[in-house]
Amino acid sequence: MATRAFDYQILAQTGRTFRLERLPLSSFVAPLALLALWQLACLTGLFPPQVLVPPSGVAKALADMTASGELQRHVGDSLQRLLIGFVIGALAGMAFGATIALSQLAEAAFSPTFLTLWQVPVIAFVPMMVMFLGIDEPFKVAVVAIASFFPMALATFDGIRGVPRNWFEVAKIYRLRLFQLIRRILLPATVPAILTGLRISLTRAWVVLVAAELLAADSGIGQMMEMGRQLFQIDVVLAGVIVSGLIGFLLDRGARWIESRASRWRTA
Amino acid sequence: MSPYPHAREDRPPTAASRGALTISDLDKSFQIGGQARRILDNINLDVRPGEFVSIVGASGCGKSTLLRLIVGLDTDYSGELRLDGERIATTSLDRGIVFQDHRLFPWMTLEQNIELALLNTDTPKARRARIVADHIALVNLTGFEKAYPHQLSGGMAQRAAIARALVTEPRLLLLDEPLGALDALTRVHVQNELQRIWMTQRSTMVMVTHDVEEALYLGDRVIVMSPNPGRIRHIVEVDLPHPRDRRSPLLHRLKDEILAELTSGADAEEARDNLVHLPSREVR
Amino acid sequence: MNGWLARFPVRAAIGLVVPALLILWWHWRTSAQIATFAPPAAVGRALAELLHSGDLLRDTLSTLKRAFAGLAIGAPLGVAAGVAMGIWRPVDRTLGPLLHALRQVPMIGWLPLMGLWFGVGEGTEVIVIGMSAFFPSMLNSHAGVAQVERRYLDVGSILRFNTAQRIRFILLPAAMPLVLTGITQALAFSWIATIGTELLTGAGSGLGVAMSQAQVQQRLDVMLVVIAVTAALGFLINQIFRRLRQSLLRWQPSVQ
Repeated sequence: MATRAFDYQILAQTGRTFRLERLPLSSFVAPLALLALWQLACLTGLFPPQVLVPPSGVAKALADMTASGELQRHVGDSLQRLLIGFVIGALAGMAFGATIALSQLAEAAFSPTFLTLWQVPVIAFVPMMVMFLGIDEPFKVAVVAIASFFPMALATFDGIRGVPRNWFEVAKIYRLRLFQLIRRILLPATVPAILTGLRISLTRAWVVLVAAELLAADSGIGQMMEMGRQLFQIDVVLAGVIVSGLIGFLLDRGARWIESRASRWRTA
Repeated sequence: MSPYPHAREDRPPTAASRGALTISDLDKSFQIGGQARRILDNINLDVRPGEFVSIVGASGCGKSTLLRLIVGLDTDYSGELRLDGERIATTSLDRGIVFQDHRLFPWMTLEQNIELALLNTDTPKARRARIVADHIALVNLTGFEKAYPHQLSGGMAQRAAIARALVTEPRLLLLDEPLGALDALTRVHVQNELQRIWMTQRSTMVMVTHDVEEALYLGDRVIVMSPNPGRIRHIVEVDLPHPRDRRSPLLHRLKDEILAELTSGADAEEARDNLVHLPSREVR
Repeated sequence: MNGWLARFPVRAAIGLVVPALLILWWHWRTSAQIATFAPPAAVGRALAELLHSGDLLRDTLSTLKRAFAGLAIGAPLGVAAGVAMGIWRPVDRTLGPLLHALRQVPMIGWLPLMGLWFGVGEGTEVIVIGMSAFFPSMLNSHAGVAQVERRYLDVGSILRFNTAQRIRFILLPAAMPLVLTGITQALAFSWIATIGTELLTGAGSGLGVAMSQAQVQQRLDVMLVVIAVTAALGFLINQIFRRLRQSLLRWQPSVQ
């Protein structure tokens, strides 16, 4: 699996950390200026309401939907699918990744198939899955599970394969038993990679879920946006954009926080 | 035989007319953890044109800092630094430097790396290729022009770095532990090369090293520095003709003297304080 | 790799076991009554049919055109933005937070919005695809410039480089590995975005459209062909770029 490490490295580099505490005031200038311009542009009637709705309009839409409980329902549905699908997919991915990392035979048998399937964008599976599963919950959960599966398997594989040989030798010199080997060396060594994999899987799964809901669903953030588009309710669409972005951001931050807490011994 | 057929005829290889370095009352401090730490204290040195000066001392005596100040990468100091009377205010192609890590650009070939040094000189483009080839020959790397740095051995890469530093014909060449990353055998070889190059060119060279033998072998004078803060402790004149003979008794005597000095006195006391005392075991 | 597993023919054979089993199972299942399953033979026939009618070719070209259009806009812009942000702090300060905020929104979530603004058409799709290519290019180019080692910049200072020379001879080449990583990611993401937008809009021609139509027509055989073609194309593009990357980065010590 020569492509493995390389491609995973690519996946791992999607994030950039900048510390919230150290954000200088100047970094808020551009977003705030944009917001101000936006509001102004709408007030002057430059754009008809079908095209652009002022931030105040979006805020109102959000407030309305929260009051009616609609927003909570959509968010709740989406998050629920995310959770169930992610747990299933991530666990399966971890098991699979660990298996092919630890067994040469398993790797030889499964990795070609795995690699090939990985080439297909998850989203391409959606129509096929709709055919089999309809647009109910199982379909959405399955999509999330598949989207979580691949990055997780890769991360686990890399994590386990990445443990330097030298460390096993050190364990031998100090005559550690298997249990101690796992607890003291393997686990701490692989946990960072696995946590990173979980983060990447989670954020990927969220993106894929929203996309799947856009395509075929009866509730959820994605579906909310699509309905808004069809009914020309741009404030709803924008509200959906903001909410989905916010959730994605929070998921990413939260995962990073967990990662940093657990990986404190690492320097890189 | 001059490796510089293009060189100006008025500069005979046995004497240099430029490259006089004057250091007066040089002080340098760093801010470490909120406190000012004196790294260099009252450095006074006059380097004659064409001279080869070695600087030795324990870690922490500010040798590398001194070189960075002279080359102009650091301009925060008090005192006077002058080259041929002109104050040193920033980097200049008149002052070249070779670092311990060769710092050749990995994405360029040997040739391209060396030619890059000529970018901001007013050497006519037509002549550049020739000059580069001459310098590659000077360091005995002919044939490796199209090699990438990762394909060169440590010693070769360092020679290439020397060529790059020399191609601008600087008045002063600085060397910051240039052979520190090389194995002992390669080091001897490159030392010989360095001596040969210097004898041919006679540009002023100031070399920092932790290897006392190397300092004595190459240098006309050896500056011995002591740390905390960095001060010039002693200047040793090496009155031997070039090329030097490694077996020379004078060299060995001087080496013993310098080593004794470096490991005695205040330095040694400090070193002793740093020792960890283990509980002694009973003799069985 | 130990012993007998290292021999290539053995490895290849083992690798084929799983697909072979899958196909066998598939074939066995379709001899039962499940209507939506299509036997392997039918897929072969569907492939021939699509090739013959020229539909497959037309859709493939459409998708490729769209993907590359988006990439050609998004990637260079992303690299330029990332490099600018890496070199000049003020640019980073102003653009940075804004771009990072925008990045959080799932790419495909922009489509309904863009659809309302610009109408559902080719241009909108290309814009969304361009955005998918923009962000990874920007992120990685920024990281690439930021990680250029100080010691090389020192050499530039000693050789009296001006800003343009510094960018051309030091910053860009040193950042190139990460910039190319960014473009590799951009390739992948824009491919996904292309299929995604085609699925969503469902009109015109393209592989995603074909998939969507196959779903409506309940033709699993066609869908499988299109999925296979999508996968193969994605893989091929990736491989081609990898070769390109290898030749551009010839100067790197071969580590992987």
